Parts: sequence; C-alpha cells; structure tokens
Amino acid sequence: MDKNEKLRFDVIVIGAGLSGSAAAAIAARGGLKVVMIERGQNPGSKNYFGGALYTHSLLEIYPDLWDRKPPLERPVTETGFWFLSKDGMVKATVQGGKVNSQPIDAYVALRAKFDAWWAEQAQKEGAFIIPKTLVVDFIRENGKVVGVKTDRAQGEIYAPVVIITEGVNNLLTQKLGLAKHDIKGDSAALAVKQLISLPAATINSRFGLTDNDHGVAMSVMGDVSMGLPGLGFMYTGVDCVSVGVGVTLEALREAGIKPYELLQRYMNHPMIAPLIAGGRLMEYGAHIIPEGGWKDMPQLYTDGVLVAGDAASMVNALHWEGTNMAIIAGKSAAETAIEAHQKKDFSAKTLSSYRARLDKRFIMKDLHQYRNLSHFLKTHPDFMAIYPTFLNDALGMFFTGFGKPKGQLYKDILKSLTSRRPLLKAVGDIVAFGRTIIGI
Amino acid sequence: MTETSVSKKNELPVVFIDDILMSLKYFTDEHEAHLKIIDPQVCINCKDKPCVQFCPVGAYRTQDGGTVQIAFQSCIECGTCRVMCPPANVSWKLPRGGFGVSYKFG
Repeated sequence: MDKNEKLRFDVIVIGAGLSGSAAAAIAARGGLKVVMIERGQNPGSKNYFGGALYTHSLLEIYPDLWDRKPPLERPVTETGFWFLSKDGMVKATVQGGKVNSQPIDAYVALRAKFDAWWAEQAQKEGAFIIPKTLVVDFIRENGKVVGVKTDRAQGEIYAPVVIITEGVNNLLTQKLGLAKHDIKGDSAALAVKQLISLPAATINSRFGLTDNDHGVAMSVMGDVSMGLPGLGFMYTGVDCVSVGVGVTLEALREAGIKPYELLQRYMNHPMIAPLIAGGRLMEYGAHIIPEGGWKDMPQLYTDGVLVAGDAASMVNALHWEGTNMAIIAGKSAAETAIEAHQKKDFSAKTLSSYRARLDKRFIMKDLHQYRNLSHFLKTHPDFMAIYPTFLNDALGMFFTGFGKPKGQLYKDILKSLTSRRPLLKAVGDIVAFGRTIIGI
Repeated sequence: MTETSVSKKNELPVVFIDDILMSLKYFTDEHEAHLKIIDPQVCINCKDKPCVQFCPVGAYRTQDGGTVQIAFQSCIECGTCRVMCPPANVSWKLPRGGFGVSYKFG
C-alpha cells in the first residue's frame, strides 16, 4: 500500500460480538468491503454471558446453520423458574411439547468458543477482521463521522458507514453524543458466573436429562439474590454447568456485599449445592447487563453511524433476550448500510431506515412493552424477597397439611403472605407487575 | 438497603477471590494501567469505599492511611467501578488492544 494512501472500506464494524459479526456477514454478503475491529485477542475473548442463544436469530443470518457445525452446547429442553426460599425450592418448569419440538428454540453456548466461530463465518462471507485493536475515537470531516482512529500506529481507517457494536460499556456511543449518559446503576445489573466442570453423565443424572442432547436453562428467584432486585441462573453445557447471579448495580452497592460472595452463597444453597458438588471451577467472570431497555436506548443512528446490541441497550431482562436482538439489529444495520451505499447517501435521513427496520420486528415492540420493568423493580425492592419465599411456604404447607383442618391450613397460608405483605399491597404488587409486563 | 439484606449479610460465606481468579487468563499490559484513581485524597474522604465490596474481582483494596489501590491486572473490564464510584473518582479506560482479560470459555 502506498504510504499516503488511506485505508478505506465500505463499512467499519466496531466489535466482533454477536451483533458485530452478524452485521459484518450481512454487509459482506451484500457486496460491501467490510472491516471488523476487535479489541480482544480473538473474537469472543471479551464476551461473557449466562447463557443460551436463540436458534431463530442464528438461522436468520445462516439458513444453513447446521451444516456449518456451530459450537453450541446442549439444546434447552427444559426451562422455567426455580423459586428459592432459604432452604427450599419451588420449581415451575416446562419440558417436552413446544420446548422439545424441532428446531429447539434455544441452545446453551459458551461465548469465547461461539463468538470466535461466529466471526469466522463473517470472514467466510468476505469480511476482514482486525483483532487486538482498540477503536479510540472517530475521524470526522465537516462534523460527520468518516472513519475511526485505533490504538495502532497509523491506525486510521476510513468508511462512509460505521456500525458500533461495542457492547455495554458504550463509551464510543457516548462520545458521539448518541447516548446522553453513561450506564445507570438502577437500570443495569452486574452478573457474576462460575463455569463448573462436571462429567456429562453426572449432569444428566443430576438434572434428570435423558442424554447430552437435553439440557436446562433456569431463571432462579428469591433467596438467590438475598431478596435484592436480581435473578440467578443455571444452564447446563455438555460437560459443564453455568451458575450465576445478577443484581442491579445500585442494589449491590447499597447492600455492601461482594458479588462473588453472593454467588458462593447461592452455590452453597441446600437445593443447589448437590447439583454442582464435586465440580471444578473452569472459569469465573462478570459482565454488566443493560437492563434499562427502551428508556436507556441511545439515538440509534446519525450521519454515517449506526448502533446495535448491548451498546444500544437492546435487552429484555424479563425474557432473557438480548443476544437475539443484537444479532437481528446487526443484520438490520448491515441492510441499512447496503441501502445507503446503493443510494450513495450516508446521511442520518437515509440511515433512519434502520430504525424503521427495527420497528417492524419484535425488537422495538418488546423493548417498548417492557419499558417500565426497571422502574417496577426499583419501586418494589422487596418483590424478590417476599413472593418466592411465600410460594415455598404456601406449597410446603399445602402438601404437608395432613391431619389438619383445611380451613386452618388456608388461614395459615394466607397468614404467611400477610405477615410479609399486607393483602391489599400484595394485590397492588400483582396488578403493578401485570401492568408492567403488558406495558400499560 | 432492604431489611432483609442487612440481616442476611452475615450469612455470606468468605470467599478468597484470588483463588477464583486463578481460573482467568489475562494479557497484562506492563506499560500502562487502564484504571487509575483520579485523586487519592477523594478516596481518603470517601467513608464507605463501596468499590472494595462491589468490584467482582476485588481489584480495589484499602491501604493504610485510607487510600485505595487498584490491582488493574485483575480487572475484567465490566465497568461497575466507573458507574458506581460515588465521587466518580476512577479514570476508566479499556485496556489497549489485545490486553486485559481473555476468556477461554465465556
């Protein structure tokens, strides 16, 4: 390359995560010259989640997904809630039926493995990947973004469209003024996780799984977060189990607890410990989840720039969705970039079709519907402390009430609720929760 | 803080985070610390020092005299300290390209 010649591409993608590699693949497939810049040693080496990926979103990028042999762990064939009291558990899980029909909706995955493969698929479509490189700023001409500055010597790269998929710490999105503020402590959660190694046969027997083609994904509520606004989780890999807990940053700070001690407490729970007993710690990690969704969403586009994934707060905390939104938003951003190249117009006006694309999908609809979820948890801080424990008490009493007058039994059950929360307030909580979910 | 969490705080097991961090792989930048305390005096004046508690890798430790030191080598780049330091006294950057935590499994 000529020393004075600028490094030019049609599209720059910042960050080779789920959203970035989806964007890079679709843009390259559409004939654009794409470069994806990744700060980690490899794509995936900075990524950490629970977690499960959603088949529909993977198939949307690669209809021939299964021929490509994705490095997924187990399919999720049993899923639901575990409600923990101090020493007990109520399970509300579903298996078989819809959950077990092909294609299975969700697969447990490990991000360092999966994202490396996901980026490789984008490379096969023709995208160029530069790892170990941090984007530190933008290059602007006449106030418009026309490229990026990296931390490499002579590391300036030019393109008329930059797709930002930088993740939850969206400092570049903030730098452009698209995000008006940093992550907020009351609408973001810190999740910590231990990945525990166990033989596949042990996992099968402990979780009641027929074979390695069956797996669980569980949301855990109640004692897991010591009643703080937050959730625990449990996922089975082929020969590993992911066990973790997330609480809002503000609750964590106010409680003055160490997140890894909260996690250890969960792992020591009498209902949980036997599931992971004898396992070896493979890896520990932590990550922030931008649970603010709709209310924390930055402006999604400006002249020459599109934002997708965690950087754009695309998370539905209640349904554990985020990875699928990231992938589909990445695809939508790439389609918008292709359209802009066809029109040779990279203005915000042209790029606004990105928003229109997202509006048509579940992404904006869901984020809007659940826009008050963070607020609900903030204004009902004891929700996770009261109800999972009550549920354990109520069912525990119901199924052990032999030889007792049942009239008294029901009074006792009611009392176990009203001793924690006055009846009218409990009804109010349920109504408020319902309204939050329905989105009114 | 809820009543519940206060009363349960003594139920927390003691965890030696350094043992857990043995499971992590890092490429440490020997030339540049990506995290810095902006003004040590501000930490001395910070009564609660919640960073010592909330950092998921325990990278924040108090020193004699009430200052706080960051073991940036242990950082997993989550961002909690940047958002939650009450006086916003942390200068937070991402490590240079290729450096920092490198998850093997994720």
